[in-house]
Amino acid sequence: MLNVVTAIQRTPLFGSMFSVDESTGLEEINAWPSLMVMTSFVWLAVAGLFGVLMPITQLLGMQSNLFYTAITAHGAALVFPFLVQLMMGVSLHRAGSCMGKPATGILTKLTYYFMNIGAALLTVAILFGLKISYALMYPLPVVGVQLGQWSMDVVVIGFSGIALILVAVIVLYPLQILKMLFFGDQREDLLLSPRTLNDPGMLGMAMAVFILLVMGSPILIVASAVLLGLYGIVPMEAISWATEPVVFQFAFWIFAHNLMEAMAIMVISAVYGTLPLYLADGTRKLYSDRIANLALWILLVTSVTSFFHHFYTMFPALPSALAYHGNIMSWGTGIGAALTIFTVLATIWKHGLRPAPGIMMVLMGFVLYVLDGVSAIVTSNVAWSFQLHGTMFASGHTMAVLISISMMWMGVFYHHYPVITGRTLNQKLGNWFIKLYMVGAIGAMYAMLAGGAAGMPRRFAAWNQEGWMIYGVFILIFGLILGASLFVFAYDLLKSSDITTIPGEQATAIS
Amino acid sequence: MLDFLYQSAWGAFTIMLFFQIPFLIVFFYIVYRKTRTDSGPSGTDEKRISRIEGLWITLVVALFIAVNAISIKYMPTVSTAQAATSGLDIQNVDVTAQSWSYQISERQFEVGRPVRFSVKSVDTMHGFAVYHPDGRMLFTMMLMPGMEQSSIIHTFTEPGKYKVRCLEYCGIAHHLMQDELIVANSSE
Repeated sequence: MLNVVTAIQRTPLFGSMFSVDESTGLEEINAWPSLMVMTSFVWLAVAGLFGVLMPITQLLGMQSNLFYTAITAHGAALVFPFLVQLMMGVSLHRAGSCMGKPATGILTKLTYYFMNIGAALLTVAILFGLKISYALMYPLPVVGVQLGQWSMDVVVIGFSGIALILVAVIVLYPLQILKMLFFGDQREDLLLSPRTLNDPGMLGMAMAVFILLVMGSPILIVASAVLLGLYGIVPMEAISWATEPVVFQFAFWIFAHNLMEAMAIMVISAVYGTLPLYLADGTRKLYSDRIANLALWILLVTSVTSFFHHFYTMFPALPSALAYHGNIMSWGTGIGAALTIFTVLATIWKHGLRPAPGIMMVLMGFVLYVLDGVSAIVTSNVAWSFQLHGTMFASGHTMAVLISISMMWMGVFYHHYPVITGRTLNQKLGNWFIKLYMVGAIGAMYAMLAGGAAGMPRRFAAWNQEGWMIYGVFILIFGLILGASLFVFAYDLLKSSDITTIPGEQATAIS
Repeated sequence: MLDFLYQSAWGAFTIMLFFQIPFLIVFFYIVYRKTRTDSGPSGTDEKRISRIEGLWITLVVALFIAVNAISIKYMPTVSTAQAATSGLDIQNVDVTAQSWSYQISERQFEVGRPVRFSVKSVDTMHGFAVYHPDGRMLFTMMLMPGMEQSSIIHTFTEPGKYKVRCLEYCGIAHHLMQDELIVANSSE
């Protein structure tokens, strides 16, 4: 544990933002989560650099190769090592402090190492030529080798990295959370905010890790088979079933779609857990736990099989019945979201709200999440999908879901920050972060959605056609505002000040 | 009106705003009011909130059903099936996508005559998106190698040069994978 605390302290620049308070004796629920959150912000910086590079390469008319490298590296850094790792760090702290269990052990360690070594390998592969875009467009990696776009070596390195990340996300992290939720003795010294699984603030966490375990299994099996073939451990003929594009694509989207749904369910659960702590009348209760839990169950049931909406435009390869099922289930998630909106607003209406930056980040992230959800269900209607799929509209939705969940997790982290570090943050800077982030996020989202409505293709290195560059200009402007907000957030962490009260009391009060 | 809403991407964008704007107004009104002007507990009784809950969910479900039910008529799968059984003379076109070009068996079409595009990919994932001369996308298809041909029936209603683009990222020259279709009036 000491090593983790020391490792954080010794990290240049980021170390002082995330160093763990050793005076409270809570390192077992704080150290690994803090290390994960810190590392996720390092990856965010990497993702931000590549993100800004994308529109710049287009505006300056630079080589298309650079754009495709930037988009691949941006996606590789943003999704797993930043957002998923941020979720892992904050949720491990939440699980520990709500269940009174340490967030330590071999599973946590391996989760961290597999995630970051995997992400580093994938980034190296990308920098050495692997340009497979935001998503894994299989069988493109192999076809790219055949056409001389990149070497088989970078494919093997990249796939090795992806495999490590998948093991961390699908197996190690869910098992660690399940271990904390269902096994081991509760320790009073770690229990800051007791919760049960009937509590909406914890139910979503359990649902999310089960989704990851179950819905991630097919891609893990397929990826393992492909990797064994690439390493030469088994002959390629023996795993030819796994290299069939249709097998890989369906396994990939069952996982990728449900990864987003799992993250959404988990963060909505965190919203349910955090909101009552900021109610003006001090009731610390949601309007209705029953409706909140119902919303989570509806989200779970509808989202699991709504992934078919990724394949509508493959008609008739995707049977119509499955397309209609995907359409209905996708809009069904909207019912769960509607119940969540009602619960959140009824809670605020009934009890009033203390507008501290942490909860306002969570709520503004929730606003982005709902706005994005509407764009998602619109594009998951079969009729509209044929006019929107493959355009920037889909990218706008993807970006918005990522940044909305990011903001909610950053808000939850902001809330837990004093407990983890023993320091408080500047409210004024927190509010500035919220304003800038919202302007940047909403602006970039609508610029991308409008670009998509105008027919602008996604993952496309020629925005100078059909007058699409104007959307690119707006994407860059709002992207820079979004980046500026993150600088404000980082500066706030850097300039945090020590809590002057007794840390244990402060920690308990805040959690 | 319905044709605009359901047959164009801007129509989809409009419907999206139709749902988003009321949400934003209500959300920010409640949050602003309960944090700035009246942050104390509300005196609204439970029964009233419960009634609003019922109304809200009924409204959402009704809107969702209406929007999707109307869309059935506009689903390309449905219109393709209707055209196929209409008895009209359909022009058949075979398209093969391969990095980074298309082999298209016929590039000249007539306004008003249904065209069945039967499309396949022979190497990696590709797209086949047809753009109207004014720049908006008419439809797109995702092509997975190893699968049977995807087919769709479309009837062009205006003459002009229609662009074809690949919308599934397929490698370093993806943006160059384009082609052109010519649509003319039947008398020309």
